[in-house]
Parts: sequence; structure tokens; C-alpha cells
Amino acid sequence: MSTNGYEPLIIAFCCHWCSYTGADLAGTSRLRYPPNVRIIRVMCSGMVHPNLVMDALTKGADGVVICGCHKGDCHYLEGNLKAEKRAEAIKLMLEDFGLEQERFRLEWVSASEGAKFAAVMQTMTEQVKALGPSPYHVG
Amino acid sequence: MAVKVAGEWLNICGGCEVTILDIGEPLLDLLPQLEFVHLPVLMDHKYFGQTGERNEMEIPAADVGLVSGGVRNEKEKHVAEEMRKKCKTLIALGSCACFGGIPALANMFKLEEMFDKIYRGSKTTASANTPADNLPPLMDAVKALDEVVKVDVYIPGCPTAPELVVEALTALLTGKSFDLPERSVCDDCPTKREKKASGGTLKRPLETMAIAEGPLENTRCFMEQGFICLGPVTRAGCARSMETGKEKVPRCIKGHMACRGCFGPIRKGANPLVDMMGAVTSIGLDAKEVLDRRALLNRYIGAQNRLRPLPQKTAIGR
Repeated sequence: MSTNGYEPLIIAFCCHWCSYTGADLAGTSRLRYPPNVRIIRVMCSGMVHPNLVMDALTKGADGVVICGCHKGDCHYLEGNLKAEKRAEAIKLMLEDFGLEQERFRLEWVSASEGAKFAAVMQTMTEQVKALGPSPYHVG
Repeated sequence: MAVKVAGEWLNICGGCEVTILDIGEPLLDLLPQLEFVHLPVLMDHKYFGQTGERNEMEIPAADVGLVSGGVRNEKEKHVAEEMRKKCKTLIALGSCACFGGIPALANMFKLEEMFDKIYRGSKTTASANTPADNLPPLMDAVKALDEVVKVDVYIPGCPTAPELVVEALTALLTGKSFDLPERSVCDDCPTKREKKASGGTLKRPLETMAIAEGPLENTRCFMEQGFICLGPVTRAGCARSMETGKEKVPRCIKGHMACRGCFGPIRKGANPLVDMMGAVTSIGLDAKEVLDRRALLNRYIGAQNRLRPLPQKTAIGR
């Protein structure tokens, strides 16, 4: 696959209360961000189990972003803290699966941070594009 | 009419075959209904005749085939295929046959790497070429039996339990099916859970567990005490009582040891490594403290692609 033609596939798990609304704001504000991102709305970043992320990365996705509320803002009080703990485990497992650390990110995006959402997706896409396809890439 | 049983062993240590012998008295009740036609652990049988007068491997036809051990080399593959041809029902006996077992830890490395390490990299032996004369070539990885032939019944365990073998054979004799429940060891475990670890740090297996007086119900969950216990990601069923058929305390828990995962994943397609890392962090333990994660959390289940050499890093900008 050549550098020019390669477009990474990025899965973004966005929590319903902050980040998904943030993504919505990015859209309504007409902000540009790469079309490589597929957003999956979840009720809380704390419900994204590591197996969802590892499954995504080993079954076709090139990068995964989990977006949650800023600390202290979680609608469910401490779901995002749970997500942070799980992110540590995910980063360790990237090693176990032979994947680069840059393929996964945990970001806090509030409902008013449409611009931040767009920026995060922009940098993430560029980063993963530079890495090339996931070694598990299918098809 | 007696049911014909054939047994074979492939890449094994011998523990699961001894489990058959270890059935004890219940075997006496079963024996009139069974006829062992081929069982290398008990009786010698030359595949090609005493002096090699035949050209093809010969295993007598049987109704039930008990195969233990994973498939490591071409000879074992050949035997497995022959067993499948000759047996109406094929049972994978033990964790090696079901999931690759301990030997499948070698699947983390490429064959050449392994040969280099064993024959040339070892400090205590003289360097030598990889032996090849009169030896069956190794497969590229240790395979579970069902990666080579179709398997009808799975009896996991390292070693497996006599009760399970009796139950499976009895079920087959009476025309019933034999299946382990799709639930975790934790579902059968009597220890007390509070959903939060008692301390933040992981303990090594040799440190002493706090075992409360009286029944195990008074004792705190081993994971919550900080010991890596594979209960959450391991299939239940290791503790069946021969008398009642009722399930009891999981075997390792009963012996005050954390579960090591020999019964394999709870359902097909599950990834215990990932699930376990999730479980460790969910109760507030530090995932970084889990040492040698790939091997530890895939100890018995390295076949079926769960352990494989890590993919080569993709070149930047490819």
C-alpha cells in the first residue's frame, strides 16, 4: 500500500454527555476534521472495556480514541476515572499485541470543546497515517 | 454390546492418561460396558506391526476416541487424523488437546528462534545443529486438536479430572451430550467479593493468602486480596463430585490457590488476556504489576492463534 493512497480507519468511542455533544458542536460549527474517524456513541467512557479496543485494533481499525468528560465532570461521577485506569491496561496490551502506542489515545473532550474534538481527530489521523496500516490490517 | 474405546497421546506429559487410570472404583462399574481396543498408556501396540511389516498406520476402529495432547509435529498430526478416521466420536482430553496447553507457550516464538535458543543459545550445552535425522518435522506452531481434525467433545483440565472423564463416558454411553457450562470459575467460587481490591498492589503467588476460619465463604476473594486469579476468565466445571454430579468449590480454590486458567476461555472467541487485564483494573489493581502478561494469562491456551510471534512493526510511512 502506498503512502499516498493509504487512509487509516479510526474508531472514536465518545461518551454521550460530553464528547459526543462536543463532536456535534464541531459539526454544527462547521469545523473541519478528517473523514477517517468513525464515531461510536457510548453512554460513558467508563463502559468501554479493553476488549472492545483490542478487538477494534486487531480486526480492522488502525487507531482508537476514547473520548470522555473531563475529570470531575462525569455524568456518572467516576466513569471517566475507570476509563483512565483501563487506558493504562490498554497501553500495556498494545505491547503484548505488538502495536504502537500511538494507535490508542484517551482524551477528555467537554460538550463545549468542539474545536478540541476536531483538533484531536486531526492529530490522531495524521499520527496513525504516519505509522501506516495496523499489522493486523485486514483486506 | 460393549462400546469400543481407543485412546491416543500426542504432545503430552502423561498426566491426563493417568487420569483415566485414576478413575478408581467407578471404572469397575463402567468396564463391562467398555472395551479398550487401543490405549498406549496401558498396552503396547505397534502401528506398523511388530517388525514393520505393514505400510500404513493401523489403529483399530472404535466408537469413542480419547485423544490427549496437542499437535506439535507431523507424526502427531498423522496419528490425530488416523484417530479421527477410526473413531465415531472424538474426545479432546485435557487442556493440551483442547487449547494447546503449556507446550503452546512456545507459540510466542518462531521455530527458528526456538531452535537457536535450544540448540545454540543455551549456555549449559554444546552448540549443535538442529537434529533432523529420523525425526518428524515440527509444525510451525503447537496446535490444539481441533485445529487439525474435527473434535466432538472437549474435556479440559491440566490434568483433567477423573470425574469429568466418567461423566463424559457415561453421557456418551447413554446417548446424552456432554458440555461444560458457559460460566466462569467465579460463578462457582464461594469466596466473599466486595468488588474492590483490599490494597493497591499485586502479590506474588508465594505470599500467604489470608484464609479465614470456617468455610471458604468467610474468606475474601483472592483477586481482591491482590493475587492474580484467572477465575473471571476461566470456564467453570473443574469441581464435579463423582457421587452427586453436583458442582463444588473449584479445585485450586479449594486448595487455597488462585485459579490458573487450565479450563480455558469461557466461550469460543473470548480473549482471556484482554478480559483479565480489564478485570484487574476494574477492581482497582495496577495493571502494570502483572508480570509476563502474555505467558501468564495464556498459560494453557496458547494454540488457536492466541499466542503467536508478535507482528513485525510496520515501517513508518509505508
